[in-house]
Amino acid sequence: MIAIDICKTLYGSMGEMELSVDLRIKEGEFIALAGESGSGKTTLLRIIAGLEKARGTLKVGDEVWMDAKHTLPPQKRKIGFVFQDYALFPNMTVLQNLLFVQKDHALATQLLAMTGLDELKDRLPATLSGGQKQRVSLCRAMMNRPKILLMDEPLSALDPAMRTKLQQEILTLHKNFGTTTIMVSHDPSEIYRLANRVVVLDHGRIIQDDTPKKVLLKTSGSQKFSFEGELLDIVQVDIIMVAIVSIGQQLVEVVISPDEAASLHIGERVTVSTKAFAPILSNR
Amino acid sequence: MSNLSATVASIQSNDGLNIVTFSLGEESLSMVSLELDEAMCVGSKCLLNVNASSVAIGKKLSGMLSYSNQLSARVAAVESGELLARIVLDISGNRLESLITVASCQRLGLKAGDEVTALVKATELSVSRVLA
Repeated sequence: MIAIDICKTLYGSMGEMELSVDLRIKEGEFIALAGESGSGKTTLLRIIAGLEKARGTLKVGDEVWMDAKHTLPPQKRKIGFVFQDYALFPNMTVLQNLLFVQKDHALATQLLAMTGLDELKDRLPATLSGGQKQRVSLCRAMMNRPKILLMDEPLSALDPAMRTKLQQEILTLHKNFGTTTIMVSHDPSEIYRLANRVVVLDHGRIIQDDTPKKVLLKTSGSQKFSFEGELLDIVQVDIIMVAIVSIGQQLVEVVISPDEAASLHIGERVTVSTKAFAPILSNR
Repeated sequence: MSNLSATVASIQSNDGLNIVTFSLGEESLSMVSLELDEAMCVGSKCLLNVNASSVAIGKKLSGMLSYSNQLSARVAAVESGELLARIVLDISGNRLESLITVASCQRLGLKAGDEVTALVKATELSVSRVLA
Protein backbone atom coordinates (compact mmCIF):
# COMPACT_ATOMS: atom_id res chain seq x y z
CA MET A 1 0.00 0.00 0.00
CA ILE A 2 1.19 3.47 -0.86
CA ALA A 3 -0.34 6.14 1.34
CA ILE A 4 -0.03 9.70 0.12
CA ASP A 5 -1.35 12.52 2.28
CA ILE A 6 0.34 15.72 1.27
CA CYS A 7 -0.19 19.47 1.08
CA LYS A 8 1.75 22.17 -0.69
CA THR A 9 1.04 25.76 -1.61
CA LEU A 10 1.76 26.42 -5.28
CA TYR A 11 2.18 29.77 -6.93
CA GLY A 12 1.03 29.57 -10.53
CA SER A 13 -0.30 31.84 -13.25
CA MET A 14 -3.72 31.69 -11.57
CA GLY A 15 -2.29 32.90 -8.26
CA GLU A 16 -1.93 30.84 -5.11
CA MET A 17 -3.23 27.29 -5.13
CA GLU A 18 -3.28 24.63 -2.43
CA LEU A 19 -2.28 21.17 -3.65
CA SER A 20 -3.96 18.79 -1.23
CA VAL A 21 -3.94 15.10 -2.06
CA ASP A 22 -4.99 12.16 0.08
CA LEU A 23 -4.61 8.98 -1.92
CA ARG A 24 -4.23 5.27 -1.13
CA ILE A 25 -2.76 3.15 -3.89
CA LYS A 26 -2.59 -0.64 -3.85
CA GLU A 27 0.64 -2.30 -4.93
CA GLY A 28 0.64 -3.16 -8.63
CA GLU A 29 -2.00 -0.60 -9.58
CA PHE A 30 -1.65 1.42 -12.76
CA ILE A 31 -2.95 4.91 -12.11
CA ALA A 32 -3.58 7.52 -14.76
CA LEU A 33 -3.32 11.04 -13.41
CA ALA A 34 -5.43 13.45 -15.43
CA GLY A 35 -6.57 17.04 -15.17
CA GLU A 36 -6.02 20.40 -16.82
CA SER A 37 -2.56 21.89 -16.99
CA GLY A 38 -1.73 23.69 -13.77
CA SER A 39 -3.89 21.34 -11.70
CA GLY A 40 -0.87 19.99 -9.82
CA LYS A 41 -0.20 16.65 -11.57
CA THR A 42 3.51 17.16 -12.23
CA THR A 43 4.09 18.63 -8.76
CA LEU A 44 2.45 15.57 -7.21
CA LEU A 45 4.81 13.26 -9.15
CA ARG A 46 7.82 15.36 -8.09
CA ILE A 47 6.75 15.25 -4.44
CA ILE A 48 6.44 11.45 -4.61
CA ALA A 49 9.89 11.30 -6.20
CA GLY A 50 11.33 13.54 -3.50
CA LEU A 51 12.28 16.26 -5.97
CA GLU A 52 10.01 18.76 -4.20
CA LYS A 53 9.25 19.38 -0.57
CA ALA A 54 5.73 19.26 0.84
CA ARG A 55 3.91 19.01 4.16
CA GLY A 56 2.29 15.73 5.18
CA THR A 57 3.21 12.07 4.99
CA LEU A 58 4.21 9.58 2.32
CA LYS A 59 4.42 5.88 3.15
CA VAL A 60 5.35 3.10 0.77
CA GLY A 61 4.72 -0.33 2.30
CA ASP A 62 6.31 -0.14 5.78
CA GLU A 63 8.83 2.52 4.73
CA VAL A 64 8.21 6.13 5.60
CA TRP A 65 9.45 8.30 2.73
CA MET A 66 8.27 11.54 4.24
CA ASP A 67 6.72 12.73 7.49
CA ALA A 68 6.91 15.75 9.79
CA LYS A 69 10.36 14.74 11.07
CA HIS A 70 12.33 13.55 8.10
CA THR A 71 12.39 13.21 4.33
CA LEU A 72 14.05 10.36 2.45
CA PRO A 73 16.27 11.78 -0.30
CA PRO A 74 15.29 10.95 -3.92
CA GLN A 75 18.20 8.54 -4.48
CA LYS A 76 17.09 6.40 -1.51
CA ARG A 77 13.54 6.08 -2.82
CA LYS A 78 12.88 3.14 -5.12
CA ILE A 79 11.55 5.33 -7.91
CA GLY A 80 11.73 5.29 -11.69
CA PHE A 81 10.94 8.56 -13.42
CA VAL A 82 10.18 8.98 -17.13
CA PHE A 83 9.93 12.52 -18.45
CA GLN A 84 8.28 13.75 -21.64
CA ASP A 85 11.62 15.05 -22.95
CA TYR A 86 13.55 11.77 -22.26
CA ALA A 87 16.29 13.46 -20.12
CA LEU A 88 19.02 11.05 -21.25
CA PHE A 89 22.72 11.74 -20.70
CA PRO A 90 23.83 12.87 -24.18
CA ASN A 91 27.49 11.86 -23.70
CA MET A 92 26.69 8.28 -22.70
CA THR A 93 25.68 5.35 -24.88
CA VAL A 94 22.32 3.65 -24.45
CA LEU A 95 23.88 0.95 -22.28
CA GLN A 96 25.88 3.46 -20.19
CA ASN A 97 22.70 5.46 -19.58
CA LEU A 98 21.18 2.33 -18.05
CA LEU A 99 24.26 1.25 -16.10
CA PHE A 100 24.62 4.74 -14.60
CA VAL A 101 21.59 3.95 -12.43
CA GLN A 102 22.71 0.48 -11.37
CA LYS A 103 25.71 -1.61 -12.39
CA ASP A 104 23.49 -4.55 -13.26
CA HIS A 105 24.52 -5.85 -16.69
CA ALA A 106 22.07 -8.75 -16.65
CA LEU A 107 19.09 -6.50 -15.98
CA ALA A 108 20.22 -3.93 -18.57
CA THR A 109 20.51 -6.67 -21.19
CA GLN A 110 17.11 -8.07 -20.29
CA LEU A 111 15.45 -4.64 -20.50
CA LEU A 112 17.09 -3.79 -23.81
CA ALA A 113 15.96 -7.13 -25.23
CA MET A 114 12.38 -6.64 -23.99
CA THR A 115 12.14 -3.31 -25.75
CA GLY A 116 14.01 -4.33 -28.90
CA LEU A 117 16.95 -2.04 -28.22
CA ASP A 118 19.78 -4.61 -28.00
CA GLU A 119 21.26 -3.61 -31.35
CA LEU A 120 21.32 0.06 -30.38
CA LYS A 121 23.09 -0.37 -27.04
CA ASP A 122 26.34 1.33 -28.15
CA ARG A 123 24.64 4.29 -29.83
CA LEU A 124 24.51 7.81 -28.42
CA PRO A 125 21.05 9.29 -27.68
CA ALA A 126 21.42 11.96 -30.40
CA THR A 127 21.42 9.23 -33.07
CA LEU A 128 18.09 7.75 -31.91
CA SER A 129 14.48 8.50 -32.91
CA GLY A 130 12.01 9.92 -30.38
CA GLY A 131 10.42 6.54 -29.81
CA GLN A 132 13.81 4.88 -29.28
CA LYS A 133 14.90 7.59 -26.85
CA GLN A 134 11.75 7.17 -24.81
CA ARG A 135 12.33 3.39 -24.75
CA VAL A 136 15.82 4.01 -23.38
CA SER A 137 14.51 6.32 -20.69
CA LEU A 138 11.83 3.76 -19.82
CA CYS A 139 14.51 1.03 -19.48
CA ARG A 140 16.66 3.36 -17.41
CA ALA A 141 13.71 4.04 -15.10
CA MET A 142 13.38 0.27 -14.50
CA MET A 143 17.09 -0.23 -13.68
CA ASN A 144 16.70 0.10 -9.90
CA ARG A 145 13.62 -2.15 -9.94
CA PRO A 146 11.40 0.71 -8.79
CA LYS A 147 8.54 0.23 -6.38
CA ILE A 148 6.88 3.18 -8.06
CA LEU A 149 7.23 4.12 -11.70
CA LEU A 150 6.35 7.76 -12.31
CA MET A 151 5.74 8.96 -15.86
CA ASP A 152 4.96 12.53 -16.84
CA GLU A 153 3.19 12.45 -20.24
CA PRO A 154 5.84 10.05 -21.53
CA LEU A 155 4.32 9.52 -24.97
CA SER A 156 2.83 12.90 -25.83
CA ALA A 157 5.69 13.85 -28.16
CA LEU A 158 5.39 10.67 -30.23
CA ASP A 159 3.27 9.83 -33.26
CA PRO A 160 0.17 7.63 -32.76
CA ALA A 161 1.68 4.38 -34.11
CA MET A 162 4.77 4.72 -31.88
CA ARG A 163 2.53 5.57 -28.91
CA THR A 164 0.55 2.35 -29.31
CA LYS A 165 3.78 0.32 -29.47
CA LEU A 166 5.27 1.95 -26.39
CA GLN A 167 2.01 1.63 -24.49
CA GLN A 168 2.30 -2.12 -24.97
CA GLU A 169 5.90 -2.10 -23.71
CA ILE A 170 5.02 0.04 -20.70
CA LEU A 171 2.26 -2.42 -19.82
CA THR A 172 4.62 -5.39 -20.21
CA LEU A 173 7.27 -3.79 -17.96
CA HIS A 174 4.64 -2.76 -15.42
CA LYS A 175 3.35 -6.34 -15.20
CA ASN A 176 6.72 -8.16 -15.34
CA PHE A 177 8.28 -6.02 -12.64
CA GLY A 178 5.13 -5.80 -10.49
CA THR A 179 5.63 -2.05 -10.25
CA THR A 180 3.06 0.42 -9.11
CA THR A 181 2.75 2.96 -11.88
CA ILE A 182 1.48 6.52 -11.88
CA MET A 183 1.29 8.14 -15.29
CA VAL A 184 0.17 11.64 -16.23
CA SER A 185 -1.88 11.33 -19.42
CA HIS A 186 -4.55 13.23 -21.33
CA ASP A 187 -5.13 10.62 -24.01
CA PRO A 188 -8.39 8.67 -23.40
CA SER A 189 -7.34 5.66 -25.48
CA GLU A 190 -4.01 5.50 -23.65
CA ILE A 191 -5.73 5.73 -20.26
CA TYR A 192 -8.27 3.08 -21.23
CA ARG A 193 -5.59 0.68 -22.50
CA LEU A 194 -3.14 1.04 -19.61
CA ALA A 195 -4.73 2.21 -16.40
CA ASN A 196 -7.00 0.39 -14.00
CA ARG A 197 -7.80 3.59 -12.15
CA VAL A 198 -8.01 7.26 -13.08
CA VAL A 199 -7.44 10.09 -10.63
CA VAL A 200 -8.49 13.52 -11.89
CA LEU A 201 -6.98 16.61 -10.28
CA ASP A 202 -8.53 20.05 -10.48
CA HIS A 203 -6.98 23.08 -8.80
CA GLY A 204 -4.89 20.85 -6.57
CA ARG A 205 -7.73 18.61 -5.44
CA ILE A 206 -8.93 15.17 -6.48
CA ILE A 207 -12.32 15.60 -8.15
CA GLN A 208 -12.69 12.09 -9.57
CA ASP A 209 -11.20 8.72 -8.65
CA ASP A 210 -12.72 5.78 -10.49
CA THR A 211 -12.25 3.19 -13.25
CA PRO A 212 -11.28 4.53 -16.71
CA LYS A 213 -14.67 3.64 -18.14
CA LYS A 214 -16.57 5.47 -15.41
CA VAL A 215 -14.40 8.56 -15.79
CA LEU A 216 -14.05 8.61 -19.57
CA LEU A 217 -17.40 7.39 -20.87
CA LYS A 218 -19.39 10.52 -21.63
CA THR A 219 -23.06 9.83 -21.15
CA SER A 220 -26.15 11.94 -21.36
CA GLY A 221 -28.98 10.19 -19.53
CA SER A 222 -29.18 6.66 -20.96
CA GLN A 223 -27.38 7.79 -24.11
CA LYS A 224 -23.93 6.26 -24.25
CA PHE A 225 -22.77 7.84 -27.51
CA SER A 226 -22.13 11.37 -26.45
CA PHE A 227 -19.78 14.18 -27.44
CA GLU A 228 -19.36 17.75 -26.41
CA GLY A 229 -19.04 20.38 -29.08
CA GLU A 230 -19.74 23.95 -30.07
CA LEU A 231 -22.92 24.88 -31.91
CA LEU A 232 -21.73 26.75 -35.02
CA ASP A 233 -24.90 27.27 -36.99
CA ILE A 234 -28.51 26.22 -37.46
CA VAL A 235 -29.94 26.17 -40.97
CA GLN A 236 -33.48 25.51 -42.08
CA VAL A 237 -33.93 22.78 -44.67
CA ASP A 238 -37.48 22.01 -45.80
CA ILE A 239 -39.42 21.72 -42.51
CA ILE A 240 -36.46 20.49 -40.49
CA MET A 241 -33.52 22.36 -38.99
CA VAL A 242 -29.93 21.20 -39.30
CA ALA A 243 -27.51 22.08 -36.50
CA ILE A 244 -23.82 22.23 -37.41
CA VAL A 245 -21.63 21.33 -34.47
CA SER A 246 -17.85 21.24 -34.22
CA ILE A 247 -16.52 18.32 -32.20
CA GLY A 248 -12.76 17.92 -31.87
CA GLN A 249 -11.32 18.50 -35.32
CA GLN A 250 -14.56 17.69 -37.13
CA LEU A 251 -17.90 19.16 -38.04
CA VAL A 252 -21.05 17.10 -37.64
CA GLU A 253 -24.65 17.76 -38.61
CA VAL A 254 -27.64 16.93 -36.48
CA VAL A 255 -31.26 17.20 -37.54
CA ILE A 256 -33.35 19.03 -34.92
CA SER A 257 -36.91 20.32 -34.65
CA PRO A 258 -37.80 24.04 -34.77
CA ASP A 259 -38.69 23.88 -31.06
CA GLU A 260 -35.27 22.51 -30.20
CA ALA A 261 -33.64 25.11 -32.45
CA ALA A 262 -35.45 27.90 -30.60
CA SER A 263 -33.93 26.85 -27.30
CA LEU A 264 -30.35 26.71 -28.61
CA HIS A 265 -27.89 29.56 -29.08
CA ILE A 266 -25.15 29.74 -31.68
CA GLY A 267 -21.74 29.55 -30.05
CA GLU A 268 -22.82 27.67 -26.95
CA ARG A 269 -21.45 24.32 -25.78
CA VAL A 270 -23.78 21.48 -26.63
CA THR A 271 -23.85 17.73 -26.12
CA VAL A 272 -24.52 15.55 -29.12
CA SER A 273 -25.79 12.19 -28.02
CA THR A 274 -27.62 9.13 -29.15
CA LYS A 275 -28.18 5.65 -27.81
CA ALA A 276 -25.34 3.16 -28.19
CA PHE A 277 -27.61 1.19 -30.55
CA ALA A 278 -27.91 3.89 -33.19
CA PRO A 279 -24.45 4.58 -34.66
CA ILE A 280 -22.91 2.48 -37.37
CA LEU A 281 -19.21 1.72 -37.03
CA SER A 282 -17.11 1.03 -40.12
CA ASN A 283 -13.39 0.97 -40.83
CA ARG A 284 -11.87 3.32 -43.34
CA MET B 1 -24.46 -6.34 -40.38
CA SER B 2 -26.67 -5.50 -43.29
CA ASN B 3 -25.60 -5.08 -46.88
CA LEU B 4 -28.07 -4.10 -49.52
CA SER B 5 -26.76 -3.66 -53.02
CA ALA B 6 -29.18 -1.30 -54.77
CA THR B 7 -29.41 1.00 -57.79
CA VAL B 8 -30.48 4.66 -57.61
CA ALA B 9 -33.85 5.02 -59.36
CA SER B 10 -34.63 8.66 -58.62
CA ILE B 11 -33.41 11.66 -56.63
CA GLN B 12 -35.71 14.41 -55.36
CA SER B 13 -34.05 17.46 -53.83
CA ASN B 14 -35.15 20.53 -51.90
CA ASP B 15 -32.58 22.86 -50.29
CA GLY B 16 -30.02 20.50 -48.83
CA LEU B 17 -32.53 17.73 -48.31
CA ASN B 18 -32.92 14.72 -50.59
CA ILE B 19 -35.13 11.74 -51.00
CA VAL B 20 -33.51 8.99 -53.02
CA THR B 21 -35.31 5.89 -54.23
CA PHE B 22 -33.42 2.70 -54.99
CA SER B 23 -34.36 -0.49 -56.70
CA LEU B 24 -33.31 -3.71 -55.11
CA GLY B 25 -34.48 -6.72 -57.10
CA GLU B 26 -38.26 -6.45 -57.18
CA GLU B 27 -38.30 -4.07 -54.25
CA SER B 28 -38.08 -0.31 -54.08
CA LEU B 29 -36.48 1.54 -51.17
CA SER B 30 -36.47 5.16 -50.21
CA MET B 31 -33.99 7.16 -48.15
CA VAL B 32 -34.09 10.65 -46.67
CA SER B 33 -30.69 12.29 -46.56
CA LEU B 34 -28.94 15.64 -46.17
CA GLU B 35 -26.13 16.33 -48.71
CA LEU B 36 -25.47 13.37 -51.01
CA ASP B 37 -22.16 11.99 -52.22
CA GLU B 38 -21.30 13.92 -55.41
CA ALA B 39 -20.72 10.68 -57.31
CA MET B 40 -24.30 9.59 -56.75
CA CYS B 41 -26.72 9.91 -59.68
CA VAL B 42 -29.59 7.96 -61.20
CA GLY B 43 -28.21 4.56 -62.17
CA SER B 44 -25.45 4.54 -59.50
CA LYS B 45 -24.93 1.26 -57.72
CA CYS B 46 -24.79 1.75 -53.94
CA LEU B 47 -24.30 -0.30 -50.82
CA LEU B 48 -27.05 0.60 -48.38
CA ASN B 49 -26.92 0.11 -44.68
CA VAL B 50 -29.34 0.32 -41.81
CA ASN B 51 -28.62 -0.29 -38.18
CA ALA B 52 -30.14 -3.60 -37.04
CA SER B 53 -31.74 -1.80 -34.09
CA SER B 54 -33.81 0.30 -36.52
CA VAL B 55 -35.29 -2.60 -38.48
CA ALA B 56 -38.75 -3.73 -37.35
CA ILE B 57 -40.45 -6.89 -38.54
CA GLY B 58 -44.10 -7.39 -39.47
CA LYS B 59 -45.99 -10.57 -40.10
CA LYS B 60 -49.42 -10.88 -41.76
CA LEU B 61 -49.63 -7.11 -41.93
CA SER B 62 -52.89 -5.31 -42.59
CA GLY B 63 -53.86 -1.69 -42.14
CA MET B 64 -51.60 1.19 -43.08
CA LEU B 65 -48.13 2.03 -41.82
CA SER B 66 -46.08 5.17 -42.48
CA TYR B 67 -42.89 3.16 -43.06
CA SER B 68 -41.56 4.11 -46.51
CA ASN B 69 -39.74 0.81 -46.73
CA GLN B 70 -41.88 -2.29 -46.34
CA LEU B 71 -39.81 -5.05 -47.85
CA SER B 72 -40.88 -8.62 -48.47
CA ALA B 73 -38.30 -10.78 -46.76
CA ARG B 74 -37.64 -14.35 -45.79
CA VAL B 75 -36.24 -15.17 -42.34
CA ALA B 76 -32.84 -16.78 -42.95
CA ALA B 77 -31.89 -17.28 -39.31
CA VAL B 78 -33.01 -16.48 -35.78
CA GLU B 79 -30.37 -16.13 -33.09
CA SER B 80 -31.90 -15.69 -29.66
CA GLY B 81 -30.08 -14.44 -26.58
CA GLU B 82 -31.53 -14.00 -23.10
CA LEU B 83 -33.18 -10.67 -23.92
CA LEU B 84 -32.46 -9.79 -27.52
CA ALA B 85 -32.86 -11.70 -30.76
CA ARG B 86 -31.01 -11.16 -34.02
CA ILE B 87 -33.14 -11.94 -37.05
CA VAL B 88 -31.25 -12.36 -40.32
CA LEU B 89 -33.47 -11.58 -43.29
CA ASP B 90 -33.02 -12.33 -46.96
CA ILE B 91 -34.38 -9.76 -49.39
CA SER B 92 -33.87 -10.92 -52.99
CA GLY B 93 -30.47 -12.31 -52.10
CA ASN B 94 -29.45 -9.35 -49.90
CA ARG B 95 -28.83 -9.64 -46.21
CA LEU B 96 -30.67 -7.45 -43.71
CA GLU B 97 -30.38 -7.82 -39.95
CA SER B 98 -32.96 -6.91 -37.37
CA LEU B 99 -32.38 -6.68 -33.63
CA ILE B 100 -35.58 -7.09 -31.65
CA THR B 101 -36.47 -8.27 -28.17
CA VAL B 102 -36.89 -11.98 -27.55
CA ALA B 103 -40.43 -11.19 -26.35
CA SER B 104 -41.29 -9.68 -29.76
CA CYS B 105 -39.62 -12.56 -31.55
CA GLN B 106 -41.79 -15.02 -29.62
CA ARG B 107 -44.94 -12.95 -30.09
CA LEU B 108 -44.45 -13.21 -33.86
CA GLY B 109 -43.33 -16.84 -33.60
CA LEU B 110 -40.40 -16.12 -35.92
CA LYS B 111 -38.42 -19.02 -37.34
CA ALA B 112 -36.23 -19.63 -40.37
CA GLY B 113 -38.21 -19.79 -43.60
CA ASP B 114 -41.00 -17.42 -42.47
CA GLU B 115 -42.23 -14.84 -44.96
CA VAL B 116 -42.24 -11.46 -43.23
CA THR B 117 -42.12 -7.73 -43.93
CA ALA B 118 -39.02 -5.75 -42.97
CA LEU B 119 -39.93 -2.22 -41.88
CA VAL B 120 -37.35 0.55 -42.20
CA LYS B 121 -37.98 4.28 -41.93
CA ALA B 122 -36.58 6.33 -44.79
CA THR B 123 -34.62 8.43 -42.26
CA GLU B 124 -32.87 5.33 -40.91
CA LEU B 125 -31.58 4.07 -44.25
CA SER B 126 -28.13 5.26 -45.31
CA VAL B 127 -25.62 4.81 -48.12
CA SER B 128 -22.38 3.25 -46.91
CA ARG B 129 -20.65 3.34 -50.30
CA VAL B 130 -21.31 4.41 -53.88
CA LEU B 131 -19.93 1.53 -55.95
CA ALA B 132 -20.19 2.87 -59.52
